Amino acid sequence: MTLLKKERPQSSAWKNPTVRGLLFPALVLVAYGILFAIMPDKASVGLKSSANIALSMLLPLGLVFILMLVLNLFLKPAQIVKFFGREAGIKGVILSAAAGIISAGPIYAWYPLLKDLREKGAANTFLAIFLGNRAVKPFLLPIMISYFGWIYVLILTVFTVLGSIVVGYFVGALARVESSLPSRSR
Amino acid sequence: MKIAVSADGADLEASVAQKFGTSEYLLVIDSDSGDFEAIANPGASGQRGAGVQAVVLAISKGVKTVLTGWCSPAVRNQLTANGIEVISELSGTVGELVEKYRKGDLRKQVEAEVAPAAGGRRIDRAALLQAAKSAARQFASLLPILIGVVLLIGLFNAFISEELLASIWSGSPVLDTLWGACFGSILAGNPINSYVIGGELLKYGVSLFAVTAFIITWVTVGLVQLPAEIAALGKKFALVRNAISFVLFTAVAALTVVILNLITG
Repeated sequence: MTLLKKERPQSSAWKNPTVRGLLFPALVLVAYGILFAIMPDKASVGLKSSANIALSMLLPLGLVFILMLVLNLFLKPAQIVKFFGREAGIKGVILSAAAGIISAGPIYAWYPLLKDLREKGAANTFLAIFLGNRAVKPFLLPIMISYFGWIYVLILTVFTVLGSIVVGYFVGALARVESSLPSRSR
Repeated sequence: MKIAVSADGADLEASVAQKFGTSEYLLVIDSDSGDFEAIANPGASGQRGAGVQAVVLAISKGVKTVLTGWCSPAVRNQLTANGIEVISELSGTVGELVEKYRKGDLRKQVEAEVAPAAGGRRIDRAALLQAAKSAARQFASLLPILIGVVLLIGLFNAFISEELLASIWSGSPVLDTLWGACFGSILAGNPINSYVIGGELLKYGVSLFAVTAFIITWVTVGLVQLPAEIAALGKKFALVRNAISFVLFTAVAALTVVILNLITG
Protein backbone atom coordinates (compact mmCIF):
# COMPACT_ATOMS: atom_id res chain seq x y z
CA MET A 1 0.00 0.00 0.00
CA THR A 2 2.89 2.34 0.63
CA LEU A 3 4.09 1.98 -2.92
CA LEU A 4 1.10 3.63 -4.52
CA LYS A 5 1.18 6.78 -2.46
CA LYS A 6 4.77 7.49 -3.32
CA GLU A 7 4.43 6.80 -7.04
CA ARG A 8 1.29 8.72 -7.91
CA PRO A 9 2.62 12.31 -7.89
CA GLN A 10 5.61 11.41 -10.04
CA SER A 11 3.66 9.64 -12.75
CA SER A 12 0.99 12.36 -12.90
CA ALA A 13 3.67 15.05 -13.32
CA TRP A 14 4.83 13.35 -16.51
CA LYS A 15 1.40 12.52 -17.79
CA ASN A 16 0.28 13.35 -21.28
CA PRO A 17 3.49 12.66 -23.22
CA THR A 18 1.77 13.48 -26.51
CA VAL A 19 1.19 17.09 -25.49
CA ARG A 20 4.78 17.39 -24.21
CA GLY A 21 6.08 15.89 -27.46
CA LEU A 22 4.17 18.38 -29.60
CA LEU A 23 5.20 21.46 -27.60
CA PHE A 24 8.73 21.62 -28.98
CA PRO A 25 7.87 21.36 -32.72
CA ALA A 26 5.01 23.82 -32.13
CA LEU A 27 7.43 26.36 -30.65
CA VAL A 28 9.79 25.92 -33.62
CA LEU A 29 6.88 26.49 -36.01
CA VAL A 30 5.95 29.68 -34.13
CA ALA A 31 9.56 30.84 -34.53
CA TYR A 32 9.28 30.16 -38.29
CA GLY A 33 6.00 32.08 -38.41
CA ILE A 34 7.58 35.14 -36.80
CA LEU A 35 10.63 34.87 -39.02
CA PHE A 36 8.57 34.66 -42.22
CA ALA A 37 6.90 37.92 -41.17
CA ILE A 38 10.11 39.85 -40.47
CA MET A 39 12.89 38.13 -42.45
CA PRO A 40 11.26 36.00 -45.21
CA ASP A 41 14.59 35.41 -47.00
CA LYS A 42 16.27 33.85 -43.97
CA ALA A 43 13.15 31.84 -43.17
CA SER A 44 13.02 30.26 -46.63
CA VAL A 45 16.76 29.45 -46.47
CA GLY A 46 16.08 27.70 -43.16
CA LEU A 47 13.08 25.80 -44.52
CA LYS A 48 14.97 24.65 -47.63
CA SER A 49 17.84 23.48 -45.50
CA SER A 50 15.41 21.53 -43.26
CA ALA A 51 13.80 19.96 -46.33
CA ASN A 52 17.21 18.79 -47.56
CA ILE A 53 17.98 17.19 -44.21
CA ALA A 54 14.56 15.51 -44.15
CA LEU A 55 15.06 14.16 -47.71
CA SER A 56 18.44 12.70 -46.84
CA MET A 57 16.84 10.91 -43.89
CA LEU A 58 13.99 9.24 -45.79
CA LEU A 59 15.78 6.00 -46.67
CA PRO A 60 17.42 5.47 -43.25
CA LEU A 61 14.08 6.26 -41.56
CA GLY A 62 12.39 3.59 -43.71
CA LEU A 63 15.00 1.10 -42.50
CA VAL A 64 14.40 2.27 -38.93
CA PHE A 65 10.72 1.38 -39.28
CA ILE A 66 11.47 -2.07 -40.67
CA LEU A 67 13.99 -2.76 -37.89
CA MET A 68 11.47 -1.63 -35.26
CA LEU A 69 8.92 -4.04 -36.68
CA VAL A 70 11.35 -6.98 -36.76
CA LEU A 71 12.62 -6.29 -33.23
CA ASN A 72 9.06 -5.97 -31.89
CA LEU A 73 8.29 -9.33 -33.42
CA PHE A 74 11.16 -11.20 -31.82
CA LEU A 75 12.19 -9.36 -28.66
CA LYS A 76 10.14 -9.25 -25.52
CA PRO A 77 11.65 -6.86 -22.94
CA ALA A 78 9.44 -8.17 -20.13
CA GLN A 79 10.94 -11.63 -20.35
CA ILE A 80 14.48 -10.34 -20.03
CA VAL A 81 13.79 -7.74 -17.36
CA LYS A 82 12.33 -10.35 -15.04
CA PHE A 83 15.68 -12.16 -14.90
CA PHE A 84 18.24 -9.41 -14.65
CA GLY A 85 17.46 -8.56 -11.09
CA ARG A 86 18.01 -12.06 -9.96
CA GLU A 87 20.85 -13.58 -11.91
CA ALA A 88 24.28 -12.88 -10.56
CA GLY A 89 27.66 -12.67 -12.34
CA ILE A 90 28.15 -12.67 -16.08
CA LYS A 91 24.58 -13.82 -16.78
CA GLY A 92 23.22 -10.82 -14.89
CA VAL A 93 25.52 -8.51 -16.84
CA ILE A 94 24.41 -9.92 -20.20
CA LEU A 95 20.72 -9.84 -19.28
CA SER A 96 20.76 -6.31 -17.91
CA ALA A 97 22.75 -5.04 -20.93
CA ALA A 98 20.34 -6.81 -23.32
CA ALA A 99 17.32 -5.40 -21.46
CA GLY A 100 18.78 -1.88 -21.74
CA ILE A 101 19.44 -2.28 -25.46
CA ILE A 102 15.95 -3.55 -26.32
CA SER A 103 14.06 -1.31 -23.89
CA ALA A 104 11.87 1.17 -25.72
CA GLY A 105 10.10 4.36 -24.78
CA PRO A 106 11.12 7.31 -22.64
CA ILE A 107 13.27 6.68 -19.59
CA TYR A 108 10.59 8.03 -17.27
CA ALA A 109 8.42 5.03 -18.06
CA TRP A 110 11.13 2.71 -16.78
CA TYR A 111 12.01 4.32 -13.44
CA PRO A 112 9.06 2.85 -11.47
CA LEU A 113 10.02 -0.62 -12.71
CA LEU A 114 13.68 -0.19 -11.86
CA LYS A 115 12.67 1.00 -8.41
CA ASP A 116 10.51 -2.06 -7.98
CA LEU A 117 13.27 -4.35 -9.22
CA ARG A 118 15.68 -2.81 -6.76
CA GLU A 119 13.23 -3.34 -3.91
CA LYS A 120 13.09 -6.97 -5.06
CA GLY A 121 16.87 -7.20 -4.69
CA ALA A 122 18.30 -6.21 -8.08
CA ALA A 123 21.91 -5.09 -7.62
CA ASN A 124 22.90 -1.47 -8.37
CA THR A 125 25.47 -2.78 -10.85
CA PHE A 126 22.77 -4.26 -13.08
CA LEU A 127 20.49 -1.23 -12.84
CA ALA A 128 23.37 1.03 -13.94
CA ILE A 129 24.28 -1.36 -16.78
CA PHE A 130 20.65 -1.26 -17.93
CA LEU A 131 20.60 2.56 -17.93
CA GLY A 132 23.92 2.87 -19.79
CA ASN A 133 22.93 0.41 -22.49
CA ARG A 134 19.83 2.41 -23.32
CA ALA A 135 22.25 4.44 -25.47
CA VAL A 136 22.52 1.49 -27.86
CA LYS A 137 19.45 1.34 -30.06
CA PRO A 138 19.69 -1.28 -32.82
CA PHE A 139 16.71 0.11 -34.75
CA LEU A 140 18.33 3.55 -34.99
CA LEU A 141 21.58 2.22 -36.46
CA PRO A 142 20.56 3.10 -40.08
CA ILE A 143 20.32 6.80 -39.15
CA MET A 144 23.59 6.70 -37.25
CA ILE A 145 25.40 4.88 -40.09
CA SER A 146 24.02 7.34 -42.66
CA TYR A 147 25.65 10.20 -40.76
CA PHE A 148 28.85 8.67 -39.41
CA GLY A 149 29.67 5.49 -41.38
CA TRP A 150 29.55 1.90 -40.16
CA ILE A 151 33.12 1.64 -38.80
CA TYR A 152 32.52 4.54 -36.43
CA VAL A 153 29.13 3.13 -35.38
CA LEU A 154 30.63 -0.30 -34.75
CA ILE A 155 33.43 1.08 -32.55
CA LEU A 156 31.11 3.41 -30.64
CA THR A 157 28.50 0.70 -30.07
CA VAL A 158 31.00 -1.84 -28.76
CA PHE A 159 32.62 0.79 -26.51
CA THR A 160 29.25 1.99 -25.21
CA VAL A 161 28.29 -1.54 -24.16
CA LEU A 162 31.70 -2.17 -22.54
CA GLY A 163 31.71 1.31 -20.95
CA SER A 164 28.24 0.71 -19.48
CA ILE A 165 29.44 -2.50 -17.86
CA VAL A 166 32.47 -0.73 -16.34
CA VAL A 167 30.20 2.09 -15.08
CA GLY A 168 27.89 -0.58 -13.64
CA TYR A 169 30.65 -2.16 -11.59
CA PHE A 170 31.88 1.25 -10.35
CA VAL A 171 28.35 2.20 -9.31
CA GLY A 172 27.94 -1.20 -7.65
CA ALA A 173 31.10 -0.60 -5.62
CA LEU A 174 30.61 3.10 -4.80
CA ALA A 175 26.87 3.19 -4.15
CA ARG A 176 27.02 0.05 -2.04
CA VAL A 177 25.59 1.61 1.14
CA GLU A 178 22.25 2.18 -0.52
CA SER A 179 22.12 -1.30 -1.96
CA SER A 180 20.05 -3.14 0.61
CA LEU A 181 21.15 -6.43 2.10
CA PRO A 182 18.85 -8.66 0.03
CA SER A 183 20.66 -7.62 -3.15
CA ARG A 184 23.89 -9.08 -1.88
CA SER A 185 22.37 -12.34 -0.78
CA ARG A 186 20.60 -12.94 -4.08
CA MET B 1 -1.67 -18.58 -5.22
CA LYS B 2 -1.46 -14.96 -6.33
CA ILE B 3 -4.05 -13.38 -8.61
CA ALA B 4 -3.67 -9.91 -10.17
CA VAL B 5 -6.82 -7.98 -11.01
CA SER B 6 -6.80 -4.73 -13.01
CA ALA B 7 -8.94 -2.36 -10.97
CA ASP B 8 -10.32 1.18 -10.98
CA GLY B 9 -9.73 1.55 -7.23
CA ALA B 10 -7.40 0.39 -4.49
CA ASP B 11 -9.70 -2.05 -2.65
CA LEU B 12 -11.76 -5.19 -3.21
CA GLU B 13 -14.94 -3.15 -3.72
CA ALA B 14 -13.44 -1.47 -6.80
CA SER B 15 -14.67 -2.43 -10.27
CA VAL B 16 -12.47 -4.47 -12.54
CA ALA B 17 -10.76 -2.10 -14.99
CA GLN B 18 -11.40 -2.41 -18.72
CA LYS B 19 -7.74 -2.44 -19.76
CA PHE B 20 -5.05 -4.45 -17.99
CA GLY B 21 -2.09 -2.39 -19.26
CA THR B 22 -3.44 1.03 -18.32
CA SER B 23 -5.73 0.37 -15.34
CA GLU B 24 -5.29 2.72 -12.36
CA TYR B 25 -4.36 -0.11 -9.99
CA LEU B 26 -3.33 -3.70 -9.99
CA LEU B 27 -4.65 -5.57 -6.97
CA VAL B 28 -2.48 -8.56 -6.14
CA ILE B 29 -4.53 -10.99 -4.06
CA ASP B 30 -3.40 -14.15 -2.30
CA SER B 31 -6.27 -16.54 -3.07
CA ASP B 32 -5.38 -18.75 -0.10
CA SER B 33 -5.09 -16.18 2.67
CA GLY B 34 -7.27 -13.44 1.13
CA ASP B 35 -4.53 -10.82 1.75
CA PHE B 36 -4.19 -8.21 -0.94
CA GLU B 37 -1.85 -5.43 -2.02
CA ALA B 38 -2.98 -2.47 -4.16
CA ILE B 39 -0.24 -1.22 -6.46
CA ALA B 40 -0.49 1.91 -8.60
CA ASN B 41 -0.07 0.58 -12.15
CA PRO B 42 3.17 2.07 -13.58
CA GLY B 43 1.48 1.97 -17.01
CA ALA B 44 -1.61 3.94 -15.90
CA SER B 45 -0.48 7.06 -17.77
CA GLY B 46 -1.04 5.13 -20.99
CA GLN B 47 2.27 6.01 -22.56
CA ARG B 48 4.19 3.64 -24.78
CA GLY B 49 5.34 0.49 -23.02
CA ALA B 50 2.47 0.65 -20.51
CA GLY B 51 1.46 -2.95 -21.15
CA VAL B 52 5.02 -4.23 -20.72
CA GLN B 53 5.31 -2.46 -17.37
CA ALA B 54 2.15 -4.08 -16.07
CA VAL B 55 3.45 -7.46 -17.30
CA VAL B 56 6.77 -7.01 -15.49
CA LEU B 57 4.93 -5.97 -12.35
CA ALA B 58 2.77 -9.09 -12.49
CA ILE B 59 5.83 -11.29 -13.05
CA SER B 60 7.79 -9.65 -10.24
CA LYS B 61 4.89 -10.15 -7.82
CA GLY B 62 4.80 -13.88 -8.57
CA VAL B 63 1.29 -13.68 -10.04
CA LYS B 64 -0.14 -16.87 -11.56
CA THR B 65 -3.47 -15.58 -12.90
CA VAL B 66 -4.61 -12.22 -14.28
CA LEU B 67 -8.28 -11.23 -14.19
CA THR B 68 -9.20 -8.24 -16.35
CA GLY B 69 -11.77 -6.60 -18.58
CA TRP B 70 -9.59 -6.64 -21.67
CA CYS B 71 -5.98 -7.41 -22.51
CA SER B 72 -4.20 -6.77 -25.84
CA PRO B 73 -2.97 -9.85 -27.76
CA ALA B 74 0.66 -8.75 -27.29
CA VAL B 75 0.31 -8.36 -23.53
CA ARG B 76 -1.61 -11.63 -23.33
CA ASN B 77 1.18 -13.41 -25.23
CA GLN B 78 3.80 -12.01 -22.86
CA LEU B 79 1.82 -13.04 -19.80
CA THR B 80 1.16 -16.57 -21.05
CA ALA B 81 4.79 -16.92 -22.21
CA ASN B 82 5.70 -16.30 -18.58
CA GLY B 83 3.31 -18.92 -17.29
CA ILE B 84 0.56 -16.51 -16.25
CA GLU B 85 -2.99 -17.46 -17.09
CA VAL B 86 -5.22 -14.63 -18.40
CA ILE B 87 -8.97 -14.49 -17.94
CA SER B 88 -10.56 -11.50 -19.67
CA GLU B 89 -13.97 -10.13 -20.71
CA LEU B 90 -14.80 -9.81 -17.01
CA SER B 91 -16.87 -7.23 -15.18
CA GLY B 92 -18.00 -6.69 -11.59
CA THR B 93 -16.09 -5.89 -8.43
CA VAL B 94 -12.68 -7.31 -7.66
CA GLY B 95 -13.99 -9.13 -4.58
CA GLU B 96 -16.78 -10.85 -6.55
CA LEU B 97 -14.41 -12.00 -9.28
CA VAL B 98 -11.88 -13.41 -6.86
CA GLU B 99 -14.66 -15.32 -5.14
CA LYS B 100 -15.88 -16.70 -8.49
CA TYR B 101 -12.33 -17.67 -9.38
CA ARG B 102 -11.93 -19.50 -6.07
CA LYS B 103 -15.10 -21.48 -6.73
CA GLY B 104 -13.85 -22.39 -10.20
CA ASP B 105 -16.66 -20.54 -12.01
CA LEU B 106 -14.22 -18.65 -14.25
CA ARG B 107 -12.41 -21.83 -15.34
CA LYS B 108 -14.92 -22.80 -18.00
CA GLN B 109 -14.42 -19.47 -19.69
CA VAL B 110 -10.65 -19.95 -19.85
CA GLU B 111 -11.04 -23.31 -21.52
CA ALA B 112 -13.41 -21.80 -24.08
CA GLU B 113 -10.89 -19.03 -24.83
CA VAL B 114 -7.85 -21.30 -25.09
CA ALA B 115 -9.38 -23.78 -27.54
CA PRO B 116 -9.53 -21.62 -30.72
CA ALA B 117 -6.01 -20.28 -30.13
CA ALA B 118 -4.51 -23.70 -30.78
CA GLY B 119 -4.18 -23.25 -34.56
CA GLY B 120 -0.50 -22.12 -34.93
CA ARG B 121 -0.27 -20.01 -38.16
CA ARG B 122 -3.03 -17.56 -37.28
CA ILE B 123 -1.16 -16.48 -34.14
CA ASP B 124 1.91 -15.62 -36.24
CA ARG B 125 -0.12 -13.30 -38.43
CA ALA B 126 -1.64 -11.67 -35.37
CA ALA B 127 1.85 -11.24 -33.89
CA LEU B 128 3.08 -9.63 -37.13
CA LEU B 129 0.15 -7.22 -37.13
CA GLN B 130 0.77 -6.39 -33.49
CA ALA B 131 4.49 -5.81 -34.15
CA ALA B 132 3.63 -3.53 -37.09
CA LYS B 133 1.19 -1.59 -34.94
CA SER B 134 3.67 -1.05 -32.13
CA ALA B 135 6.39 -0.12 -34.66
CA ALA B 136 4.00 2.48 -36.11
CA ARG B 137 3.32 3.80 -32.60
CA GLN B 138 7.04 3.93 -31.74
CA PHE B 139 7.75 5.65 -35.01
CA ALA B 140 4.93 8.17 -34.62
CA SER B 141 6.09 9.03 -31.12
CA LEU B 142 9.61 9.96 -32.21
CA LEU B 143 8.51 11.97 -35.24
CA PRO B 144 7.24 15.24 -33.63
CA ILE B 145 10.48 16.00 -31.78
CA LEU B 146 12.55 14.84 -34.75
CA ILE B 147 10.63 17.19 -37.08
CA GLY B 148 11.18 20.00 -34.54
CA VAL B 149 14.90 19.26 -34.45
CA VAL B 150 15.21 19.21 -38.25
CA LEU B 151 13.32 22.52 -38.54
CA LEU B 152 15.47 24.06 -35.82
CA ILE B 153 18.65 22.94 -37.59
CA GLY B 154 17.28 24.68 -40.69
CA LEU B 155 17.01 27.92 -38.71
CA PHE B 156 20.44 27.30 -37.29
CA ASN B 157 21.81 26.85 -40.83
CA ALA B 158 20.22 30.14 -41.88
CA PHE B 159 21.73 32.19 -39.08
CA ILE B 160 24.87 30.61 -37.68
CA SER B 161 28.09 30.93 -39.60
CA GLU B 162 30.96 28.47 -39.58
CA GLU B 163 33.17 31.20 -38.12
CA LEU B 164 30.91 31.61 -35.11
CA LEU B 165 30.90 27.89 -34.41
CA ALA B 166 34.64 27.68 -34.87
CA SER B 167 35.04 30.35 -32.22
CA ILE B 168 33.11 28.20 -29.71
CA TRP B 169 34.94 24.99 -30.54
CA SER B 170 38.63 25.45 -29.91
CA GLY B 171 39.98 22.65 -32.08
CA SER B 172 41.73 21.10 -29.08
CA PRO B 173 40.55 17.45 -28.83
CA VAL B 174 40.50 17.56 -25.01
CA LEU B 175 38.46 20.75 -24.71
CA ASP B 176 36.15 19.83 -27.60
CA THR B 177 35.41 16.44 -26.07
CA LEU B 178 34.64 18.09 -22.72
CA TRP B 179 32.35 20.69 -24.29
CA GLY B 180 30.55 18.03 -26.31
CA ALA B 181 30.06 15.93 -23.18
CA CYS B 182 28.70 18.93 -21.26
CA PHE B 183 26.09 19.70 -23.94
CA GLY B 184 25.15 16.03 -24.28
CA SER B 185 24.74 15.69 -20.50
CA ILE B 186 22.40 18.66 -20.26
CA LEU B 187 20.27 17.75 -23.28
CA ALA B 188 18.32 14.52 -23.38
CA GLY B 189 15.69 12.67 -25.36
CA ASN B 190 15.49 10.06 -28.09
CA PRO B 191 19.02 9.22 -29.34
CA ILE B 192 17.93 9.79 -32.96
CA ASN B 193 17.90 13.55 -32.30
CA SER B 194 21.49 13.47 -31.04
CA TYR B 195 22.58 11.71 -34.25
CA VAL B 196 20.90 14.35 -36.43
CA ILE B 197 22.26 17.30 -34.42
CA GLY B 198 25.73 15.68 -34.21
CA GLY B 199 25.75 14.88 -37.92
CA GLU B 200 24.84 18.46 -38.85
CA LEU B 201 27.45 19.88 -36.45
CA LEU B 202 30.08 17.76 -38.20
CA LYS B 203 29.21 19.50 -41.49
CA TYR B 204 30.00 22.81 -39.80
CA GLY B 205 33.47 21.56 -39.03
CA VAL B 206 32.87 20.78 -35.36
CA SER B 207 35.33 18.05 -34.42
CA LEU B 208 34.32 14.41 -34.25
CA PHE B 209 35.65 14.37 -30.66
CA ALA B 210 33.00 16.89 -29.60
CA VAL B 211 30.22 15.24 -31.60
CA THR B 212 30.99 11.75 -30.26
CA ALA B 213 31.05 12.97 -26.65
CA PHE B 214 27.77 14.78 -27.33
CA ILE B 215 26.07 11.67 -28.73
CA ILE B 216 27.27 9.25 -26.08
CA THR B 217 26.41 11.46 -23.07
CA TRP B 218 23.01 12.40 -24.56
CA VAL B 219 21.59 9.12 -23.19
CA THR B 220 24.12 7.92 -20.61
CA VAL B 221 24.24 11.14 -18.54
CA GLY B 222 20.97 12.93 -17.84
CA LEU B 223 20.87 16.18 -15.87
CA VAL B 224 17.29 16.86 -16.98
CA GLN B 225 16.01 13.54 -15.65
CA LEU B 226 18.27 13.52 -12.59
CA PRO B 227 15.41 14.42 -10.15
CA ALA B 228 13.36 11.50 -11.49
CA GLU B 229 16.34 9.14 -11.22
CA ILE B 230 16.98 10.29 -7.64
CA ALA B 231 13.32 9.76 -6.74
CA ALA B 232 13.34 6.25 -8.17
CA LEU B 233 16.78 4.92 -7.30
CA GLY B 234 18.14 7.17 -4.56
CA LYS B 235 20.41 10.20 -4.43
CA LYS B 236 23.64 8.29 -4.03
CA PHE B 237 22.94 5.89 -6.90
CA ALA B 238 21.85 8.65 -9.28
CA LEU B 239 24.71 11.06 -8.48
CA VAL B 240 27.40 8.37 -8.55
CA ARG B 241 26.04 6.85 -11.77
CA ASN B 242 25.84 10.17 -13.60
CA ALA B 243 29.25 11.37 -12.37
CA ILE B 244 31.02 8.13 -13.32
CA SER B 245 29.17 7.98 -16.63
CA PHE B 246 30.25 11.53 -17.46
CA VAL B 247 33.94 10.80 -16.80
CA LEU B 248 34.04 7.35 -18.35
CA PHE B 249 31.92 8.04 -21.43
CA THR B 250 33.87 11.24 -22.15
CA ALA B 251 36.98 9.05 -22.20
CA VAL B 252 35.16 6.45 -24.31
CA ALA B 253 34.25 9.17 -26.83
CA ALA B 254 37.87 10.27 -27.15
CA LEU B 255 39.05 6.67 -27.46
CA THR B 256 36.45 5.93 -30.15
CA VAL B 257 37.73 8.77 -32.34
CA VAL B 258 41.40 7.91 -31.73
CA ILE B 259 40.77 4.29 -32.76
CA LEU B 260 38.68 5.35 -35.76
CA ASN B 261 41.53 7.61 -36.89
CA LEU B 262 43.99 4.73 -36.50
CA ILE B 263 41.80 2.39 -38.57
CA THR B 264 40.84 4.80 -41.32
CA GLY B 265 44.18 6.59 -41.35
